[in-house]
Amino acid sequence: MQVDNWRIPEDLYYDWGDYWIKVTGNQAVIGMTEAGQSNIGDILYLDLVSEGTVVLRGEKVGSIESGKWVGSLKAPLSGVVVEVNRQLEEDPRQVNTDAYGQGWMFRMELTDVGEISKLMDPRAYKAWTEEQMCLAKEGEMSS
Amino acid sequence: MPRKRGGDELMKKVWRLLDTGKQSAAYNMALERVILTARSRGMVPDTIHFLEFSPHCALIGYHQAVNLEVEEEYCKEHGIDINRRISGGGNLYMDEGQLGWEIFALKDTPGIPRRLEDMYSLLCEAAIAGLSRLGVQARFRPHNDIEVGGRKISGTGGTEMGNSILYHGTILTDFDVDTMIACLKLPLKKLENKQVQSFKERVTCLREVLGYVPPMKDIKKAMAEGFAEVLGVELKPSGLSDFEQSLLDQELPLFQSDEWIRGSRPSQGSQLQVVDYKSPGGLIRVSLRLDPQRKRIKYVFITGDFFAYPERSILDLEAALKNSSSQPDDLLFNVRRFLGDHNVIIPGVTSEDIFQAVWTAIERVEG
Repeated sequence: MQVDNWRIPEDLYYDWGDYWIKVTGNQAVIGMTEAGQSNIGDILYLDLVSEGTVVLRGEKVGSIESGKWVGSLKAPLSGVVVEVNRQLEEDPRQVNTDAYGQGWMFRMELTDVGEISKLMDPRAYKAWTEEQMCLAKEGEMSS
Repeated sequence: MPRKRGGDELMKKVWRLLDTGKQSAAYNMALERVILTARSRGMVPDTIHFLEFSPHCALIGYHQAVNLEVEEEYCKEHGIDINRRISGGGNLYMDEGQLGWEIFALKDTPGIPRRLEDMYSLLCEAAIAGLSRLGVQARFRPHNDIEVGGRKISGTGGTEMGNSILYHGTILTDFDVDTMIACLKLPLKKLENKQVQSFKERVTCLREVLGYVPPMKDIKKAMAEGFAEVLGVELKPSGLSDFEQSLLDQELPLFQSDEWIRGSRPSQGSQLQVVDYKSPGGLIRVSLRLDPQRKRIKYVFITGDFFAYPERSILDLEAALKNSSSQPDDLLFNVRRFLGDHNVIIPGVTSEDIFQAVWTAIERVEG
């Protein structure tokens, strides 16, 4: 499945911050989608919290910088950050070049597996991404 | 032409116009987070903020490291504050005559584009509209600069919190470029007059463009009108809210602390290299700062005795290569694409020559 040139793998969950979430048992690996990294642009810095940090869904787990813009990375689910992809701190462009592979950002142990029901499936994420593209185009046309 | 936003005159939304005057770097940096917090919690309206600095200061970007970006001894000797922004971008120097401008708004403000690149362009256009009221014909240079005749007059950057954004920039009024060169780590050898002169040619200020510096109140008035026009809003002067003042009192100690200013940052480097490369069209001198760990060109200056048409194209190429990959394939691709897209003609100098000059400097840093 894809929107524009951005792939949306069917075995992942998604959230509104353009994160992909791969769930295995009570653990989840999290990264940024191709659509998300495309909007941000060439990533210059990526800084993530330490392993062992406990976060609630929506709380900050790091920061990301592109084109002089600093954005926050948010946890799409609640839990403990058990592993961080430290390679990204030296080479954050892997999020741009291999969003669903080498560009994974962190792994969490989930405190409430039930929260997964709050995420989007690939079909819902595709529809949401298309809606965002329409809104962006409407914005351009009104300018 | 600036794009007008916001539609009907009768429907104009009212934004706050906030002017906090001259303050310390720590106060101004803390206040950015305070206003952004207040806006994201819906406790204050969208805001245009003017700020000035006293004493003068060197500011680094959120992810940068002080020791790599600032000449700390020089700053100490000359009473220059050092602080860290909550936004991205590079090091900068603010003397007491500069004006900072900031936009705080909700992300879903009608008319503000969602894509970052589009948002940069629009918000810079708002600043450009203000400059035009002063008689300065400026234009946006991707990704985030405002320039006059190829020379930078305003740098910009931003960040976000929850549902709100901060986008800000500077206006160089009457600029003390010598102090800037002395207090920041730049891609030049400071003892070489030609290099210093060449750096000076890359920035400009209101005094240089207009021949005089307008009174600060006139600059602010023009900028406020430009923002109001392009954003399609009405500005109403107001002060800090009680919530902001109280939060500022709480936040200020952190922004005065070493924990904030010198706290640990992602591993990075910033090594200077200068090389001369002989091409059939003349000498190409490349000065660059490289982050070898992250394989990034942080800044590059390209000078020499060749002639480029259009004249400003080399300055635009430098901007295009800033923060770009230092890998040879990427560099060659970027140089070729830029020179091709902009129809640049440099007699006797090919894109391969420019690539080779920059690559030689990179190779020397990487050893």
